[in-house]
Amino acid sequence: MSDGTKASPGVGVIGCVSLKEDDIESMEIEDKKRKNDEEEDILLVPEWKEKRKHIFILSSAGKPIYSRHGSEDKLVTLFGVMQALVSFVQDSQDTIHSIQAGNVTIAFLTKGPIILVSVSRTGESVNNMKLQLLYVYNQVVSVLTLTQLTRVFEQRGNFDLRRLLAGSERLIDHLLNFTETQPGFLLGAVKCLPMASSTRDVISQTIINSCSKIKNLVFAILIADNKLITVVKMKKYNLHPADLHIIFNMVNSSESFKPAESWTPICLPTFDASAYMHGHVSYLSEDCEACLLLLSIDRDMFFNLSEAKQTIVDKLRRNNSLEAINEALHRPSICASDLNIPNVWHFLYKYNSVSQFWGPKLEAPYVKKEEQERLLHLYEKLHSTVHKSGRTLKLVFQQLQTETMLGWVTSGFELYVTFDPLVTKKSAINAINKLLNWMKKEEDRLFILNTSNF
Amino acid sequence: MLETIPNSSSFSVMATDDSMSDDVFESPQEISSLHAPSNQTTGTTPSPTGYRDYKPPIELYKSIVEPEVEIAHKTILLGDSGVGKTSLLVQFNTGKFQPGNFSATVGIGFTNKVVVVDDSKIKLQIWDTAGQERFRSVTHAYYRDAHALLLLYDVSSKTSFDNIRAWLGEIKEYAQDDVVIMLLGNKADCPSSERLVRREDGERLAREYNVPFMETSAKTGLNVELAFMAVARDLKSQKCGNPDDQKFNVQDYVREQTQKGSCPPCNT
Repeated sequence: MSDGTKASPGVGVIGCVSLKEDDIESMEIEDKKRKNDEEEDILLVPEWKEKRKHIFILSSAGKPIYSRHGSEDKLVTLFGVMQALVSFVQDSQDTIHSIQAGNVTIAFLTKGPIILVSVSRTGESVNNMKLQLLYVYNQVVSVLTLTQLTRVFEQRGNFDLRRLLAGSERLIDHLLNFTETQPGFLLGAVKCLPMASSTRDVISQTIINSCSKIKNLVFAILIADNKLITVVKMKKYNLHPADLHIIFNMVNSSESFKPAESWTPICLPTFDASAYMHGHVSYLSEDCEACLLLLSIDRDMFFNLSEAKQTIVDKLRRNNSLEAINEALHRPSICASDLNIPNVWHFLYKYNSVSQFWGPKLEAPYVKKEEQERLLHLYEKLHSTVHKSGRTLKLVFQQLQTETMLGWVTSGFELYVTFDPLVTKKSAINAINKLLNWMKKEEDRLFILNTSNF
Repeated sequence: MLETIPNSSSFSVMATDDSMSDDVFESPQEISSLHAPSNQTTGTTPSPTGYRDYKPPIELYKSIVEPEVEIAHKTILLGDSGVGKTSLLVQFNTGKFQPGNFSATVGIGFTNKVVVVDDSKIKLQIWDTAGQERFRSVTHAYYRDAHALLLLYDVSSKTSFDNIRAWLGEIKEYAQDDVVIMLLGNKADCPSSERLVRREDGERLAREYNVPFMETSAKTGLNVELAFMAVARDLKSQKCGNPDDQKFNVQDYVREQTQKGSCPPCNT
C-alpha cells in the first residue's frame, strides 16, 4: 500500500506523476476520433464527465470489469488509457500511485491481476481514495476468493471477469455509498447497537449454548440496523473490522435474505482470502429485524445451522431478548446536545482494542445530506492529518471557517471532535474531559468489551 | 406441521401396540395416548384396544400413517440470473409480487411449503438458487438430492432461453435420473413488443427434452400455483408407487390444467 513513501526519491520511484489536464484531454480527443463510428460517446456526456467521483476496475490486460457510472462497455478506450498508464510505469519497475490534474485526483491500486482506479474531484486525500479502493478490492475477493481470481487470469489473461461478477455490481455500488457515508470505514471500526451489557451477555450466551455441539462453526454474528449486537467466535480466531464491513455490506444490499433462510458462500478477505466460508443467513423473526449469520467452514452444515438458528430464536424469545433487541433498535439515538457539553457539535470515539466506535446522531447544523457529507469530509481530513503515514500526531487542533476540529490519538482510544468555530483551547479541553467522563460511564452500553467464544 | 406431529406419534404407538399382546392397559400414559386419536376420528376408527387380532382396514391404515412418513421433497429453482426465480417463489408463498425491486439472490434461499394434494400433505422444501455463474459450483452440490427441478427462462430474454440447453445438460450431469423437471417460461405478462421467445419455441424445446412446459407470470400469478402443484402431484405419485394408481403423468396434467381453467393470453 504505502510503498511509495518508503522509497527514496533517488531510486526514481514515481510516487506522483504530474500530467497537465491538457494532456489528458488531448488523449481523450484522440480516443474519440478513433471511435466515432459508435453512436453515442459517453465520454462526451457532460453529466458523466462532471461526476464527483468515478471508480473503475479493469484487468491487468485492460479489460473493463466495473465502472461506477455509465456502462463499462462504452468506456473501453478509457480503460485502455488507464491500463497504458499503469503498465508504462510498471515497465520501469515502478508503481503508479496517483496523478494530480487540476482539481482532479486519480488514484491507482494494482492488486494481483486487477487494477482499481479512482477519479475524484472531492479534494480527499490519496490515502483515503486508496483505502476505498482497497475495500472495493476486498469486496471483489469476498465474492470470488483470491484463489479463483488468480486462477481465472492465470488460465486466460484476457478473461472477462464480468461473467463471474455478474450480479455483484450492486454490492460494489452499495459498498461505495457505504464508505462515503459511514465513518466506520475511515476509522476501521464498527458501531454497536447500544444495550445493557447484561442483556448482551444473555444473547451471546444463548447463541453459545445453542451452538455448542456444532463442529466447524467459526463465527456467529448478530447485526441489526448496520450495528453489531454480538459476535461469538471460535477461540483462536478473530474477526477483523474490514471483514465485518464486508458482511454488513452484504446484508444491507441483499433484500433476498429477508423472505427466506439463505445458505451463501462468502469469503472474508482478511480472515482467509483463499477460501469461502459458508454462511447461514436469516433474520431472527418477523417481529425482530436482526440478522443472524452463522459462518462455518463446512459446506454441508445447512440443516444443522438451520436447526441451531431455530433453537436460538426460541430461546431468545423465551428469555425476552427479542424484545430487548427491538427496544434497543427503537430507542431514540443520543445526540451531542443530549450530553450537555458546551461547544461540542459532534464527535467520533474509537475504542482501539476492540475496533469499535461510537458517535452521536447527527443534528443541526448537519441535517442536510450535503452538510453531513461535508462533516465526514472534515473528519477524513483530520484523520489523515493525524495519521499521515510515517508519523502519528498525538493531538491536532484546527480552527476552520465554520467549525473547529480536534483530533486526539492515544493507545487506548482515538477521539475526533467537532466544536463551534470560536471555541477557545481551554474550553475545548474542558469539554473533552467531560466527554471522556461520559464515554467512560457509558462504554459498557456502547461497546462490546468482552469477547464471547464457543 | 406442528399439529400433525403429536398425532402421528400417538398413531405409531397404536400401530405397534396393536400387533403386540395384551399389555396395552398396563401404562395409563399409553391409554390416554391411544384414546386421543380415536376421539378425533369418531366412529370411523374402532377401538384398537380390545381385540388382539384386530387390524384396521387397509385404506384407513394408510390414510392415518401417511402424514407421519411425510418427508420433505427437495425442489430446486434453476435458471439464469434475473429470470424471476425468487419472484416466482415469493408469489407462490405469499401471493405477492414486488415490482421493480430486483435483488439477486446470494447463494441459496430456503423455504418450506406444505401443499395439499388430494387430501394428503406434501411438504415441499424449496431451494431458490442464485442464477449467477459464480454460484454454480455451490448449487451443483444440491442437484444430487433434488426430487424436482423447476427450470425457468424469461420470455423477454433470448439469452436466458438459449441457455436452457446448457442448464438441461448440467441437470443431466449432476441430478438424479428420476428427477422431476419442469420448464417454465416466466414473465409471460410482458407486453408483446418485449416478448422475444414465442410460446411455441418453449413448447418445442420441452417436447425435444420430454419435459412438461408452461408459461408463468410471477407478476400476475399466472400458472404459478399450478407449476408447484403439478410438481407436488408428480412427487406424490412417484412416492406412493401404488400399482393400482394410474401412473400420474405431469405432461398430461399440465396440458389438461392449462387448457381448462385459466387459459393464458395467447400473445404470439
